[in-house]
Amino acid sequence: MIEFDGVSKWYGAVRVLRNISAKVEKGETIVLCGPSGSGKSTLARTVNRLEPIQEGTIKIDGTDIHAKSMNVNALRTGIGFVFQQFNLFPHLSVVDNVMLPLQRIRQQSRKEALPTALLMLERVGLADKANALPADISGGQSQRVAIARSLILKPQVLILDEPTSALDPEMVGEVLKLLRELSSEGITMMCVTHEMGFAREVSDRIWFLRNGELTFEAKPDLFFSSNTHPDVRGFLSSIH
Amino acid sequence: MLEILREYGLMLLVGEYPHGKLGGLALTLIISIASLVITFPCAVMIALARTGQSRPFKAVASGFVHCVRAVPLLMLIFWAYFALPIVIGFPIDATYTLILAIVIYQAAYLGEIIAAGIEGLSKGQMEAAKALGLGYIPTTFRVILPQALFNVIPGIVNQLTTIIKESSLGSIIAVSELSYVMLQVNSNEVTKPLQIFGILAATYFILCFALSQATSWLERGIASKRTGRVVVEAVA
Ligand SMILES: Nc1ncnc2c1ncn2[C@@H]1O[C@H](COP(=O)(O)OP(=O)(O)O)[C@@H](O)[C@H]1O
Ligand SMILES: [Mg+2]
Repeated sequence: MIEFDGVSKWYGAVRVLRNISAKVEKGETIVLCGPSGSGKSTLARTVNRLEPIQEGTIKIDGTDIHAKSMNVNALRTGIGFVFQQFNLFPHLSVVDNVMLPLQRIRQQSRKEALPTALLMLERVGLADKANALPADISGGQSQRVAIARSLILKPQVLILDEPTSALDPEMVGEVLKLLRELSSEGITMMCVTHEMGFAREVSDRIWFLRNGELTFEAKPDLFFSSNTHPDVRGFLSSIH
Repeated sequence: MLEILREYGLMLLVGEYPHGKLGGLALTLIISIASLVITFPCAVMIALARTGQSRPFKAVASGFVHCVRAVPLLMLIFWAYFALPIVIGFPIDATYTLILAIVIYQAAYLGEIIAAGIEGLSKGQMEAAKALGLGYIPTTFRVILPQALFNVIPGIVNQLTTIIKESSLGSIIAVSELSYVMLQVNSNEVTKPLQIFGILAATYFILCFALSQATSWLERGIASKRTGRVVVEAVA
């Protein structure tokens, strides 16, 4: 479904992605991990063109998404993206945040969009917060609203960049629980995370990046076994 | 002083009105508020061009801002008053001339304030809008501007005080605003410049001090529910 082929990216003279080739199958959940600065965010952001690439191709269902002819906004409506810092719109209520894409991309009226948005909020367990402002809900709730907003246009792909890293420890669980449910419902997911428990139990495959290179790619069984890549072993022991 | 107020108080407030043209403090306020209202959309466009992606728009907007900031307002007023009628072939009322000059001048300054408001928003706001697939119009008008403008409300109110002070330059082209009226009073009452210009100064002071108090009150209110970070730059 998503196909990286020889993808490289530079910031000026610094090469931050090195010749990355890999595939994500439809419905798969991929966890991206690796040391800080290894290029996880950058790679995740190339998939919805928040970052351009200088070499290689990224195809979704066979379409080269970095091609000039690609309509970038149409591409992005088909890909949910969740940020570490939530990035909710602070001047809009929770339900208005979730509804905005329906109103401004699907051109629905408020009245048409409202039931869909409320249903989506119910899905993430926050129907009762519909009229709250983002400043008045917790971090975990904010991230669940951000996930609801990213899913409102029913994207085929969901990308998350460290969705739980900005959360207080007691709120990590509620977000991971939601992601686990979404994963089992069959959405194609790429998640950058340091939550190795989540990676072990939920992901289909784990990608390990180091210095912009996809050094190792394995199913969780192998990834966490003693036969894993030596770099992974070093990385795993460094985060525990 | 009281004597002067008794005799000329009404004139100070409304000029010759109702026997002649409206003037005095009322005209000063009308000119100032009209200037701000007309400046506002121009300033928003300049700010959007300054902070946007399009190079030609950026170049035109920053060229305009730099030119305007390099000349005194008085010169713009001279141009609008003496040169513009020759260019367009018919005369314009001095009041409109003054408003036009203030609008051109203030568009540059208010534009910079609003641009600072836009740039002060966290990068994540723009990225989140992009990631949702929102186009330029909804991103600008639903996400960026509501937050940026809210954050620079104090700067906008502050600019109104600047405009009120600047409108006194209208006295040079015989716009019968507050300063002009008091100049006339002074030529009637040649022996009391201290009192007359004392009253003039006090009137401006009360007006502008009240507005600047309102500005800092707004600043505190907004700081407490600020939507994203911002640098409010008071350019005067
Ligand atoms: N906007 C940028 N300009 C220059 N270098 C950047 C920029 N963003 C990230 N980098 C660099 O790219 C590399 C990869 O960053 P990133 O993808 O954020 O890593 P990770 O998410 O794995 O921590 C890092 O070395 C980082 O310093
Ligand atoms: Mg990162």
